[in-house]
Amino acid sequence: MRKLLEKKWLDKVWPALLASAAVVSPLSAQDGPSYEDILAGFSNPERWLTYSGDYSGKRHSPLQQITPENVSGLRPVWTFQTGTTTRGRGFETTPLADDGVLYVTGSNNNAWAIDAHTGRTFWRYRRNLPNDLTYGASAPVNRGFGMLGDRLFMVTLDAHLLAFDRRNGDILWDVELADYRVGYAATLAPLVLDGKVIVGISGGEYRTRGFIDAYDPVSGEQLWRFNTIPGPGEPGSETWPDDPEVLAAGGGGTWMNGSFDPELNLIYWGVGNPNPDYYGDARPGDNLYSNSLVALDADTGELRWHYQFTPHDLNDWDSNHMPVLAEVNWQGQPRQVVMVGNRNGFFYVLDRVTGELLLGTPFTATSWARELDADGRPIVLNDGSQGCVPDPWGSTNFMPPTFVPGQDLFILTARETCATYVPEKPADAPGQSNFGGTVLIDAEQGSGALRALDIHTGDLVWEFSYPSPTFGGVLSTASGLVFAGDHEGNFMAFDSKDGRNLWHYQTGSRIWGAAAMTFMLDQRQLVLIPSGTTLTAFALPD
Amino acid sequence: MNRDRPSEALIRNLTLPQRPHVLLALAILVFAGTSLSYAQSVNPLEGDVRAIRGGAGLFRAQCATCHGADAKGISSIEAPDLTQIWSRRSLSAAAVFEIIRLGIPGSIMPPHSLTDTENWMLVAYLQSVAEAGVIGLPAGDPATGRQAFVENCSTCHRAHGLGESLGPNLSNVTSQRSLESLIASVRDPDALVGRGYKLVHLRASEGEEITGLIKSEDAFSMQLQDDTGRLRSVNKADLQTIERLPGSLMPAFALNQLGDQRLFDIFNFLQNGAQQ
Repeated sequence: MRKLLEKKWLDKVWPALLASAAVVSPLSAQDGPSYEDILAGFSNPERWLTYSGDYSGKRHSPLQQITPENVSGLRPVWTFQTGTTTRGRGFETTPLADDGVLYVTGSNNNAWAIDAHTGRTFWRYRRNLPNDLTYGASAPVNRGFGMLGDRLFMVTLDAHLLAFDRRNGDILWDVELADYRVGYAATLAPLVLDGKVIVGISGGEYRTRGFIDAYDPVSGEQLWRFNTIPGPGEPGSETWPDDPEVLAAGGGGTWMNGSFDPELNLIYWGVGNPNPDYYGDARPGDNLYSNSLVALDADTGELRWHYQFTPHDLNDWDSNHMPVLAEVNWQGQPRQVVMVGNRNGFFYVLDRVTGELLLGTPFTATSWARELDADGRPIVLNDGSQGCVPDPWGSTNFMPPTFVPGQDLFILTARETCATYVPEKPADAPGQSNFGGTVLIDAEQGSGALRALDIHTGDLVWEFSYPSPTFGGVLSTASGLVFAGDHEGNFMAFDSKDGRNLWHYQTGSRIWGAAAMTFMLDQRQLVLIPSGTTLTAFALPD
Repeated sequence: MNRDRPSEALIRNLTLPQRPHVLLALAILVFAGTSLSYAQSVNPLEGDVRAIRGGAGLFRAQCATCHGADAKGISSIEAPDLTQIWSRRSLSAAAVFEIIRLGIPGSIMPPHSLTDTENWMLVAYLQSVAEAGVIGLPAGDPATGRQAFVENCSTCHRAHGLGESLGPNLSNVTSQRSLESLIASVRDPDALVGRGYKLVHLRASEGEEITGLIKSEDAFSMQLQDDTGRLRSVNKADLQTIERLPGSLMPAFALNQLGDQRLFDIFNFLQNGAQQ
């Protein structure tokens, strides 16, 4: 160091270094995307700044360079190898893109800044995780960074939230969300709003109580918390046994990030299963706000409305899906809606101002229920104890769907499975998973499909069949393309009009929990998909 | 923290001096703490009925969601068949104990903070459901069996260096499957067709017809071994029809074609062939 300081050239560089150090804190918007940039969504084609690309969760890019006519020429540009695996799960992240740099999180709390031109790394981060992880050990995954100014935000398998310096991967602050030893973990991509980082929590298979939190991006200070399971005497507690211990361990994880309506200032977030998963006798009642969509005031975390998809869930059908926001013409009236393709096999459209249910209809062959009653409750025909309802991974899951405006298509991955549930009183212990029974899955009966639904009726407009239940997410583009991944490892492009397959590429590992993202780099449209231990970028030939 | 677990009562019962080696093991456990888990290579609770019952309860609560209530695994989530681990992978009890304790890093298999006794109970349960292979094989002549294998089986199967590879290699099958299931597979092979051996009949656009075993399949292609043994890739878009056949490529061997004694001769050859 002393030698270095003696070098003459350093005299010139040093003041510049000091100047740049001075802008590191507080948060400097000119040094990276601001809240207004995230709010502007896809308006800058060279950026992808939040998990779904914008706050609406549509995962619909306006890019048009790659079209149904030329997509057959799509080819890999580079492949990045993570060197970290998650057998049994997937490489579930969505990279963020800004100024030619990709910010990527991976399994086992690895993370990277990658050169989008070449796939080479700028920096790598790996969290030193404790060896007694609970939920985090069984699902060592992560779905992405949040980004604001010069900072990145990532949650961890030991249930912390970290702020990174995006230029070198340094940790700027590290706060604990909850005690991982009880069963908590965190895996989602943080949702960054104006002066807030919103995160949720995993671990509904343990004696945990779910929450949605807001943190100050500069200091890491907690701004508010919404508990998904009410406390004794609070609204919603009447849907549980009158027992504080049951409520305190009621589950209701919030492990998939939500969407945001800046005009209504509401965030929309899914809530997971009640605990224990399959043994309902321990928790008679509807068990609010498990398996619900909640609309929260973004400034205070107060509940504005909720809708429960699966009251008194017995099948681990968490409602942790990306809520998709759109402005549509609904029966002749303009309407602000939120749409959810649910693990229970139903597709829902709700008015996102009031929470009024507009449509709820099955998109799979589920025999659990086939219709909702006048109050919007499912008419349950088979709770799973009589065989063949969707397995605990559900009729779809957190893999993102897409919405195609104009065509009013909601396109999602559907899973057709057959499972029988055998509930059993669990042994309750902190730090031990607590399914409350077992599930018999008939592996011979299982298939998947990419399905395009008419959002006004829920009717199937087209589908593309897969040979096995699939876990890949979906992206659409304004050029009329749909990109999806399957369980056999294919990354594919379809015509959004009719579902015709136009292109496919074998990635070598199933595409699981991830959806593609796309952005422009040097006038060239790149499409990226994570698969197994790889992240591959595709583009048309130069 | 573990006091509420129902298995605690069982564990306390297990410390009663009914089985001297159990008591010894638990005594070591008290003195040596967790180091026992490394030092101990034989399960002190193997075969203990109450330990197996307790282990079964732990299995249902902790393992069955991924490995299935029958421990036979769920292939779609890569959770292996645990009844086969002893025969297929020659794992020791201590190795299984360690996998349960530490998990498999980088996989969905998590570590488990069970007490050592609970862990051994779980191992005892897994040992109890192990596919033990053929037990009590009726007497037979391996040399005659070898000849019968060549005449009846070797066109498709390989064992101990003899035969072809259209069907499964049978060299270790007697340690992987029970006598009853082996006999059933010979007498009625259509009843249960394993993965990788499902039959398909394809008609290509140019009129070519292919019958083969589906080794792998995705939305666009099939990887087949055709009835000549050749490995072939088939593009689904090039096909006129795909007919999935319910049965096995293997013919059924009735009693009058292959008597029980001759079958036992073959099984004796399979079991002892390696020594010949």
